[in-house]
Amino acid sequence: MHIDPLERTWVVVVGLLTAMMLGVIFYTAWSGDIHPPSNVEVIDSTRLHLTEEFAEDNLGARTQPDGSVRVAMVATRYGFYPQHIEVPVDTPITFRFATPDSLHGLHIPGTNVDTMVIPGFVSEVNTVLQNTGTFPMYCNEYCGLGHHDMWSRVTITPKQG
Amino acid sequence: MTEREKPNGLALSHMWVAMITFLVAAFLGLYQVLERAEYIPAWAEGYYTSVTAHGVIMAYVLTTFFIVGFGYYCASSSLKRPIWSPGLAWGGFLMMLVGVLLVVYAIVTGQGTVLYTFYPPLTAHWTFYVGAALLVVGSIAWIIIMIVMPIRWKRENPGQPLPLIMFTTTANALLWGWTLVGVALEVVFQLIPLSVGWIDSVDVGLAKTLFAWTLHPIVYFWLIPAYQAFYMLVPRVAGGRLFSDEMARVAFIMLLVFSLPIGMHHLYVDPFQAAGWKLFHAFGTFMVAVPTLITGFTVLAGLELAGRLRGGKGLFGWIRTLPWDEPMLVATALALLMLTAGGFGGMINASYGMNTMVHNTMWVPAHFHLIFAGTTIIMYFAIAYHLWPKMTGRELFSKSLAVKQLWVWFIGMLILTIPWHYVGLLGMPRRTALMPYDPVYVDPWKSTLFAMAIGGVVLAVSAVMLIYNLVMTQVNRAREADRELKFAEPIHPVLSLPAPLNGFTLWNSIILIYMIAGWGYPIAQFFVMNTQNALPWGW
Amino acid sequence: MKRRSLALIPIVATLVGGAAAGPSSQVAWDRDTLQLLASGDAVRGQQLSGQCASCHGSEGTSPSPNWPSLAGQLPTYLYKQLRDYKDGKRQDALMSALVGDRSDQDMADLAAYYASLPLPPGKPGGDETATLLAEMGDGPRLIPACNSCHGRSGQGNRVLKRDVATMPALTGQFPAYLEKTMLDYKSGKRENDVYRRMRAITGQLTEAEIKSLAAYYGTLAQ
Repeated sequence: MHIDPLERTWVVVVGLLTAMMLGVIFYTAWSGDIHPPSNVEVIDSTRLHLTEEFAEDNLGARTQPDGSVRVAMVATRYGFYPQHIEVPVDTPITFRFATPDSLHGLHIPGTNVDTMVIPGFVSEVNTVLQNTGTFPMYCNEYCGLGHHDMWSRVTITPKQG
Repeated sequence: MTEREKPNGLALSHMWVAMITFLVAAFLGLYQVLERAEYIPAWAEGYYTSVTAHGVIMAYVLTTFFIVGFGYYCASSSLKRPIWSPGLAWGGFLMMLVGVLLVVYAIVTGQGTVLYTFYPPLTAHWTFYVGAALLVVGSIAWIIIMIVMPIRWKRENPGQPLPLIMFTTTANALLWGWTLVGVALEVVFQLIPLSVGWIDSVDVGLAKTLFAWTLHPIVYFWLIPAYQAFYMLVPRVAGGRLFSDEMARVAFIMLLVFSLPIGMHHLYVDPFQAAGWKLFHAFGTFMVAVPTLITGFTVLAGLELAGRLRGGKGLFGWIRTLPWDEPMLVATALALLMLTAGGFGGMINASYGMNTMVHNTMWVPAHFHLIFAGTTIIMYFAIAYHLWPKMTGRELFSKSLAVKQLWVWFIGMLILTIPWHYVGLLGMPRRTALMPYDPVYVDPWKSTLFAMAIGGVVLAVSAVMLIYNLVMTQVNRAREADRELKFAEPIHPVLSLPAPLNGFTLWNSIILIYMIAGWGYPIAQFFVMNTQNALPWGW
Repeated sequence: MKRRSLALIPIVATLVGGAAAGPSSQVAWDRDTLQLLASGDAVRGQQLSGQCASCHGSEGTSPSPNWPSLAGQLPTYLYKQLRDYKDGKRQDALMSALVGDRSDQDMADLAAYYASLPLPPGKPGGDETATLLAEMGDGPRLIPACNSCHGRSGQGNRVLKRDVATMPALTGQFPAYLEKTMLDYKSGKRENDVYRRMRAITGQLTEAEIKSLAAYYGTLAQ
């Protein structure tokens, strides 16, 4: 068995490079508490409109006693309901999404709000939005022939007071 | 071995299926960019049907047929014996072909517009899933043959190192064997029963998890023939040597082991899997960079050696002396450029924290078109140019046309993917037929659609050049003199090897443990949690 | 959540207002409902359909624009409407009285019967306004293409037999009936569309567009 010294040096360099990349990934995950949306929570999607949280009248954004905002939305062919929400900038927000039909994805470009919405599960995204303005929230996973039509608007408003 | 004993017809049949379907899929890709750029009337159903067919062909049909055909040819050439059990091999071929026809039936009758991602509760006609299953089952015949042939060879040549090309082909067969289990479980136990009506609901979380099992290692199954060419065909064509036989084995083994339990990076933004598992798979994803970087070194070292043997001097002088009229060499240089750029983008995708910014945006197809349609496929082209004369016994119709075709493909791929990276960062979603969102967001995206359309046209032209050259080779009157497939010799001949570098027993055990660690609980949880199934939906 | 305290004032009023009235429909597309529909007996449905024929026609094709045709409609949709009448989610004095004593099985059988009849012939088609809305929708107004949900040519959104198909076929109706339906959604008189999807869409449509769309999909002659 023969390994060239030059090759051995390169393997060490590669090892260090990889360790560095992994170090950055693990360090930022730990120090900044940065994780992708990973909410393991089941729900009976077929009866979504009969549940309390995702009932038609309870959807939308609500300010919580601690000043944070909680948003409940339904992703269903073809739109996100309510179709227009307003949320404040620089405020901790918890988005909660569920779908009664197919699978969907959602993204607000320019933000880190990006999650799949899967029948049978509740998706949750915790974030603080940093720019004001009106943004599209669109479906980014094929969900049917009207997939491209599936979008709504999110207005991020300046902080009050 | 006489020509009659070589698997010429078998390999050629597989590869022609790959190439013909490739031509169709290239034009589907052209249709998609033109539709998206609004140069032809918008037609959502046409677009999504085309995405489905383009993806199924490029990702499953082209790759599987090409790799299987290439594997048969390499095995027979390196072990200097006919294929073991040609009946099994041809049976597998027919099964795969029937599978493709069933999938085509579902797609063209409008009953399979579910893209190529196998994500329920979107449910296609049962022929779509049965066809996919037959494609996979047919390829298992190849896996068996690629395992049996080296075992029999080793029994007859005790203590001898297995030829590197056979060792790496078996590595790829094993990789495919481990990889296909996920999607096979999903198709057999969830999608076929659901589409036929034996079960009335489906656990989408479990289905997506099983698909993710397959989803990432499969790209290394596609990539390995390109790596095999890098290590064993390129130095030969360039007139050099393989830098190190042993290190090549180490690299392929690492590719095999590390690439398996990493698929969860496709599920980064899915609910239903806890963050810790995603981080675990992020680790494995980055470990795959190790064999890739080792490969980069070995290929360049092998080329430098060839350049210097041809009289090249100085730090970069050796580059000029390489035979740049050889398709294999041109493809390698272009492939390495695209691998570097695409690999960089891939690290962004794979980043546990950054992924949410680009998930399902155009950044993702930009990445995999560079790595797959760029790096991998351009090496398939070079392999085709190399093998067609040997398989058919006819001279390559035009070497210069081949070199031009590779350059055109490279340029087209850059025109296509550089703008895609840019609009991906701006948030443009992938796989949408139209973009009816507010113009303030869409207008900056649209500035790149022109380039995208040009890229599509250039790539379609390149695809035609390839097929024309291969057809003309097939009917060429000039006989090919050299019909032996030869592989690069290492600088230091390998006389003996430790068992782990000459077989896979140890590595299969390690993979089993690693797979149980990486996928055990994430799959078991669906049987422990009270998950709610979804019902089948059309589209 | 019980009553909202002052600290829980919703930040947002959405496109639609309206008083809280509970879910728009009690029908859930769960396994039980689909199994019930699968068990629908068209022969028994036909026997039960005597009362229906005077308005909806003996073969399910309505003689008057006041009432919808039922022939060829998706059984899921027919069942849901019957249940919604019974549950008071869709308002109509006559229909509520007629379905009052029907069992779930009766409704499934009736749905199976009408679904088994052929959809009245005729292809959608009309002016440019309607064609654009039907095939392309209107992005800025958040209106998806009608055909995305109502089928490639307005025949309902079922692709394969096993699909959960909840959006109705639109062809086979009188234009005047379709127009009335859309106007009812627009005014909020009809509100059994879960998550207000049709109320949101019709809220964005002008009355002229509604008329065009009704003419586009309506295939029965006035």
